[in-house]
Order: sequence, then C-alpha cells, then structure tokens
Amino acid sequence: MNEDKEKKLISLLAVRRHEAFWQRQEKEILAAAAGRPSHRKAWLLAPAAALAALLFFTARPQTPAPSPESLVSTAFLEHLDLLDDMDVLEAVPENEL
Amino acid sequence: MENEKKTGPESLAGSDPENAFALLIEEHQRLVFAVALRLTASADAAEDITQETFMAAWKHLKDFRGESSLKTWLLRIAANKARSWWRWKKLRNWVGLGRGEGEEDAAAPEDFLPDRPGDRPEQLAIQADLERRVQAAIALLPPRQREVAVLRSQELTMTEIAAALGMAEGTVKAHWFEARRKLEASLGEYL
Repeated sequence: MNEDKEKKLISLLAVRRHEAFWQRQEKEILAAAAGRPSHRKAWLLAPAAALAALLFFTARPQTPAPSPESLVSTAFLEHLDLLDDMDVLEAVPENEL
Repeated sequence: MENEKKTGPESLAGSDPENAFALLIEEHQRLVFAVALRLTASADAAEDITQETFMAAWKHLKDFRGESSLKTWLLRIAANKARSWWRWKKLRNWVGLGRGEGEEDAAAPEDFLPDRPGDRPEQLAIQADLERRVQAAIALLPPRQREVAVLRSQELTMTEIAAALGMAEGTVKAHWFEARRKLEASLGEYL
C-alpha cells in the first residue's frame, strides 16, 4: 500500500463529531472532576468482580472426599430405607394395594 | 503539538491546576474518545471511558513519571479501560445478560450532524453509513491488531503506539501491516 493510500485509510478511520458534542463532553468531565455526583459504571468494577470471584473460589472451604467407610455406610442406610419401604408394602394387605 | 507543552504535569500541579486540567481535556479528548469508540464500537462506552480516563489521570497525576508523553499516558489508560470494558462484556455474555452481536449502542444521529446546518441531510446519511462500515471493518480485526490500527488511525507514530500499548516497536509494525491489509480489503471501495 502506498503512502497516499495509507493516508486515505487513516482519514477514513478518523472519528468526527460536531463541536457541541466535544463541549458537552468537556463539561461533563469537569463536573465529574469537581466531585459532582456521578454514577459508577458497572463495567469499571470488572477487575474487582474478577478478584472477588477468585477469592470466593480459592477461600471456600474444601469439602473432603468421603472416605470409603462412609460410602459403605451411606449405601447401607439407603438399603435400609428401601427395606423399610418393602416392610410397608408387605404390611399393607394385598387387596388394598 | 503546541498545546501539549502548556498542559504538562508541571502546569497541572501548578497554581491553576483546574484551568490546566480543562486545557488538557480540550487538547486530548478527541483522541481519547476516538480510540475508545473504535476499540469498543459503543458510543456510550466511549463516553464513559473518556470521562474515566481523564478522571484517572487527574487522580494519579503524581504517578506520572514523564517517561512517556501525557498523550501516550492517557492513551495507555484509555486502552486499559477499553480492555476492562471488554472483560465486563464477556462476563455479561457468559451469564446471559449481554446483547447480541451487532447490537451495540451506535452513536446518536445528531452526533454526526456537521457544524454547518446547510450540509445536513446528505452528510448525515453518508457519515452514518461510513461509520457503520468502518466500525464493522475494525471489529473484524483481532484485538492486538485492532488496538494498533486504532492508535495508528489517530496518527500516532510507531514509537508512540509501542509506548501506549507496552509493545515492541517491531511488533507494532507487524500488527499494523496485517491490520492495514485487512482494512484495505474491507474498505477498498473508499480508498
């Protein structure tokens, strides 16, 4: 690409706004700098949100993996529950089912 | 730039810092806004970033070591804020709150109105269409190429771009070469 073409491309990419736009923007920045109330933009909190998420996931207490014994006992209790249901089924007279 | 000498860090810390700050804004707001707009493709975000860039500069002026110019320092702040904005946008999209592709808040039509009211109708239509096409072409570039192209489009030198983005000058040149090739392909009809 020759220099002329590059200049044309640069001119094409330029941002143009009318004078009133720049004046309004300048006033808003000066007002904000003077400490007039302005709402914080949510996206500005993105780094803080990322840090908070990181802290949450790293600081959260890790639940230890269940030991083989407790797995057995859980299975045993579930088995007992099942047996209970079976007891109930057995206790109900057949004609009422 | 002649004004840049007037609003150096010394004048901002001098007897009339408010006036010096107003001069600094006047001098660089077009540049900062243009960079923010081209990097985010959002008029609202660009206004926010411009405001936040000057606020941050005002607040952290004491941290400015003068190793680069105020211009590249401001652009570095603006580029970092644009990156934050993108992270926020990605996060919003990830949780399903984001807008779809191409649904960014475009500039209000009156923003394109020229200062001479007599020129209005055709200029408005042409300018708005051109703006959409230019923004779409820039959006197609990968992030680093986009940043380099946006700063180059503000007539910054390779050295200034390298300082603003914290890149090696050779890397800036390589990115600009690629970006230019792609932009020429997208916007060839206007060149």
